[in-house]
Amino acid sequence: MTREDAPSFHFGRRAKLTYVVMLVPALLLLFASLYPFLQGILTALTNRKLYLPDAKFIGLGNFEALANTAVFWTALSNTLIYTALVVIIQIPLGLGIALLLDVPTRLRGFFRTTVVLPLLVPPVVAGLMWKTMMQPQSGVLNWLLQSVGLPPFSWLTDPATAMISVVLIDTWVFTPFAVIILLAGLQSVPTDIEEAARVDGANAWQVFRLIRLPWLLPYIVLVALFRVADSLKALEIIYATTRGGPLNATRTLHIMAYEEAYRWSSLGKAMAIVFVLWVICYLISGLLLGFWHKQEKARHAA
Amino acid sequence: MKSQDSRDAGHLSLSKRLAGLGVASAIALAMATSAHAEIDWKQESGSKINLLLISHPFVDALKPLLPEFTELTGIEVDFEEFAEQPGFEKLLADLSSGTGTYDAFMTSPLNNWQYATGDWLEPLDAYIDDPALTDAAAYDMADFAPGILASGRWTREPMAGMGEGPLWGLPINFETYQIAYRPSIMKELGLEVPKTYAELLEMAPKLSAEGPNGPIYGVITRFDKYWDLPYLTFGTMLQSYGVEMIDADGKLQICSPESIAATTDFIELIRTASPEGAGAFTWDQAMQGFAAGQYIMSVDEANLFAPVYEDPDQSAISDDVGYAPTPLGPDGERAAGAWVWSMSMNANSGDKAATWLFLEWLTSKETMIKTHLGGNMNPVRSSAWADPEVAALVETWGEYPGQYREVAEEMAKVAAVRFPPHPELTRMLDRWAEAIQQSYFDEGNVEENLCAAQADVEQMIGN
Repeated sequence: MTREDAPSFHFGRRAKLTYVVMLVPALLLLFASLYPFLQGILTALTNRKLYLPDAKFIGLGNFEALANTAVFWTALSNTLIYTALVVIIQIPLGLGIALLLDVPTRLRGFFRTTVVLPLLVPPVVAGLMWKTMMQPQSGVLNWLLQSVGLPPFSWLTDPATAMISVVLIDTWVFTPFAVIILLAGLQSVPTDIEEAARVDGANAWQVFRLIRLPWLLPYIVLVALFRVADSLKALEIIYATTRGGPLNATRTLHIMAYEEAYRWSSLGKAMAIVFVLWVICYLISGLLLGFWHKQEKARHAA
Repeated sequence: MKSQDSRDAGHLSLSKRLAGLGVASAIALAMATSAHAEIDWKQESGSKINLLLISHPFVDALKPLLPEFTELTGIEVDFEEFAEQPGFEKLLADLSSGTGTYDAFMTSPLNNWQYATGDWLEPLDAYIDDPALTDAAAYDMADFAPGILASGRWTREPMAGMGEGPLWGLPINFETYQIAYRPSIMKELGLEVPKTYAELLEMAPKLSAEGPNGPIYGVITRFDKYWDLPYLTFGTMLQSYGVEMIDADGKLQICSPESIAATTDFIELIRTASPEGAGAFTWDQAMQGFAAGQYIMSVDEANLFAPVYEDPDQSAISDDVGYAPTPLGPDGERAAGAWVWSMSMNANSGDKAATWLFLEWLTSKETMIKTHLGGNMNPVRSSAWADPEVAALVETWGEYPGQYREVAEEMAKVAAVRFPPHPELTRMLDRWAEAIQQSYFDEGNVEENLCAAQADVEQMIGN
């Protein structure tokens, strides 16, 4: 009796203790992530300046001021364009490279190692490196264009071309991320289904479209999820190359917030911008996550 | 006398800086040799201070001298060095958090107007007046160019009181603006260095040549969306057209007819004589581009780039460069911007006496001369300008002996900080720069852009 009672008694107490022990870090974690967030929202409702000791509560004043600032709308559209370009370019490109790397050749190992190298370069360094290469007079890219008889391109220095140039650098750095995830996806495609399809006379395109692509869809959504969140918040590459310029061509919300805070000391306004950015991030990520869950569910049901 | 000389119709004229330069050399030399002042330099021995430095020839000149300071005082010096924009951002983050990471840092009057408002700067007057810390005779405040020294004073009243009130920083060098040109190419093209902006605009279409490594373009000058454009380089052209941000009656002049004329001419000049990408050139690109021999003329750029142009290790044109004063405006007037790098003390510094000893040592006659010989231009003490070694170094610069100095002296007469002190002046100037860039990139016309900027600036002042 006592022998049987004792363990259950101990188990009960230990379980309680375990809950408490687990609850404490969970609460700490919650506090650690919520406190700065709430602090940020509070600041967004004030006219806080870094160099003044007191701040006044101004309600939605910062948001109203933003809505009346032309640059804010430019920055908002730049943020969305940047993100859209990143996803539209990097996912197909990443998929293409992943498909190539999936083909068994003797050099596959070598290519798989080298293709991820850009991911190891810090974005700031990549930005500075590309800025040098894109310099219109002395940069190597225009030299290459010239040597094949093409006119020079203004890259980062013209409002018309700066955005695509910055996205190009982002693509160089982060496409390997898409490649790694999608390659993992490709390798998990069950070979028996593919073989069965081939036996039934499916050509390469049909195998890709009808078997591999549906199988890859959750992986593609996963890549999109990460790349969208990252690109909405992108800062380093843009700041290292154009600082939001020329004019406002690459001024995204994050760049704008950074400038408000650390160039112009307007912490209240900066936090208001960050809050807008957070809402956008939350909405788009929520949509993608919902889609991903649906995909996962459909696959496990199948 | 100091304050009278330095304040000329509300500005800080720097003209007295070079007064009596040649004749003073013997006296100055005698004073310079009177070794370090009679205070107890070891009083803070064992302390450690930390500096924030912004990449500049001054920093390269300072680094090898730091062991001398440690030997003299027993105080150890650490430093962190940053590029300009990230450096100022880092500094703002540190100052506003009040952690006092940096005991002293490189700054300028423009930046100090915000830092002083935030109570982040230690006023320096009490340290200068304390005989235990400063030997007034050896330190010799009167040796500083009065206008430059006074630019570090401010009463902390927005839009007023510059040159008065507490001293927030000590100057370490001074730059104004000039034309640098390639004598050989100008001769080849049969062109004289322009005396007026009208002449410059007229010759702009002719300014191009073929070099060994491809085309040589006409004109380079910085052109980024940053406050330095209306404050310093293009500011020099604006001021020569008679434009000041605020006129004597306190009215904004950002979209005055003169300002519109200057901006229109500037944009025409850049479109005609500058290459692709000119709308995004920063000061370092402007400096490196000219030093690499890619341009015939560098217009209204910093005269302290000269040490780079003259150094064969950093420059492809060291034997083919000349200097000229900035062109005259439509009314035959010349005015120029001024930039004063300064060192200030953090109000949250943990060891202010040791930090002061460092500032005193750094800005003393002896140390200043050593930094100038290491490439830190231009001197802010008259004894340094008069120093024979400094004079000999500068003498060789230019198309003919003494040309650089001649131009620098001419420009110093008209260089001034013609802006109202305000904690958010950089933001106002950033906005002004945006209007100039919009006009260059064909968004709206010059007048609309400048007037929109003026309306925004008006609001920023009101806030």
